[in-house]
Amino acid sequence: MTIAAIRRNAPVLISVFAGIALWEIAGRLVSAAFLVPFSATLVRLWQLITRGEFITQFLDSSELFLTGFVLALIVGAPFGMVLARVRILRVGVEPYIMTLYATPMVALIPFILSLMGFGFAPKVLVVFLFSVFPVLYNTVEGARSIKPEMIEVAKSFRSNEWALWREVMLPYTLPYTMTGVRQAIGRALVGMIAAEFFLSSTGLGQLIMGASQDFDTAGVLASTLVIGLIGVGLTRLGLNIEQHFARWRQ
Amino acid sequence: MSEATIATPALAEHKVPALMRGALVPRLIVGLSIFLVWEIVVRGFAPAYVAKPSTVLLAIPQVIVDPAFLHALGATLGAVSEGLAITIVAGTVIGLLMGRSDIFDRMVRVYINGLNAMPMIIVLPLFSLWFGYSNGARIGTIIFAAIFAITMNVADGARSVPREYLEVSRSFRSGRLRMLIDIVLPASMPYLLAGFRLAAGRALIGAVVAEFFLSIGGLGYYILYNSRAYHHNEAFVGVLLLAGIGVSFELLVNWCTRHFMPWYRRGA
Repeated sequence: MTIAAIRRNAPVLISVFAGIALWEIAGRLVSAAFLVPFSATLVRLWQLITRGEFITQFLDSSELFLTGFVLALIVGAPFGMVLARVRILRVGVEPYIMTLYATPMVALIPFILSLMGFGFAPKVLVVFLFSVFPVLYNTVEGARSIKPEMIEVAKSFRSNEWALWREVMLPYTLPYTMTGVRQAIGRALVGMIAAEFFLSSTGLGQLIMGASQDFDTAGVLASTLVIGLIGVGLTRLGLNIEQHFARWRQ
Repeated sequence: MSEATIATPALAEHKVPALMRGALVPRLIVGLSIFLVWEIVVRGFAPAYVAKPSTVLLAIPQVIVDPAFLHALGATLGAVSEGLAITIVAGTVIGLLMGRSDIFDRMVRVYINGLNAMPMIIVLPLFSLWFGYSNGARIGTIIFAAIFAITMNVADGARSVPREYLEVSRSFRSGRLRMLIDIVLPASMPYLLAGFRLAAGRALIGAVVAEFFLSIGGLGYYILYNSRAYHHNEAFVGVLLLAGIGVSFELLVNWCTRHFMPWYRRGA
């Protein structure tokens, strides 16, 4: 069992170590303005953490991410459910939601900048816009998957509106909403960094921008590495959430 | 897909025009009211330079003949095509190898999954250090944004090639490379196209973000520059065009799937 596990994971481990070794060697060979070794990146990361810079910026970014994302959930999921229930509304609104879902939201950032300036609100709006449409789009998709017979059966058993929502609408659309949540987590992260890059510079985006402007390659690599790891963690979280609710799907 | 189960007898009885009429009226009403609310809100509460449907509409004829705009459009589309061409070749090669070699898959997948989970715009500061504030950094960003969608899809496709195809090819004594190019690649074409659909959208976003960040000429920079100069209407025409390019990529892929792979119906 353990030998089998080692054999299975050996290529992964070897590949990761080879990658780090390659980074280390390449970093020592080329100029420090271009790439610094892995070890130097870790040292720089440790400096950022111990100086407290990293923690403050991380909390700053988290506040932005959570505010925008929670707003997207609060608006996207209920609105999607209402669209699910009211067919005529759904038919009317659907093509516009799909269009907005496909529109590159980054293109709107310059407008948001010149209309709303540099405060916290415009940045929250960016994160919100990036993440609301996946939630909405997938919830409506879920609503389309409910067979009309299900609602008819519930109605012919004289279930009231509340029971209909609790027993049919919610269990059927929620797994789809959670697919939207998974996509929204990734997009909200992009929105967060985009807002921090292109609106007022704060948080992890500022950490990396500042390092880039100082030609501090180690700082850029350290912050990129950390944000990458945060991305991996959040993606994993999103997949877990989605899979947890996927059991409801039939 | 689930289309077959949704089309219950009651729904199937509807003739197509009736169905169209049923959807068209609410769609038109919603669309018109969106534009109306937008127009009224902007007229009532926002400064004059803010884009509203009527002025954007008026700006379209001027913008699409403006040389600066056409130049920007050409620069962005050129970079996107160049980036996508590199992406398709490199992504397909890596994907095919991942799909057919278990060891290679395990070695590479860590990196592909990890890099794919990174918010793509985060590579911009690094790329601007490496490539300077140049077209190279933009193409690098486009490739980074798009390649994982292709690789992952092609790997899925290469893995799910029917075993019989490979057995027949093997019994005719074809070599490994031959098998990869003549059997596995055509069999994973639908997956490649599905990946391309995703990749094209991401490449476009990558190009726009890179132009914002690097301030190099292109559609993204055109939008940024004009919105800073309070020419919001002109800038918004750029946004509309971006959305249009995104949609036409989608239509192109759908058409290709239907035209070149009529046997492949899933998701078409």
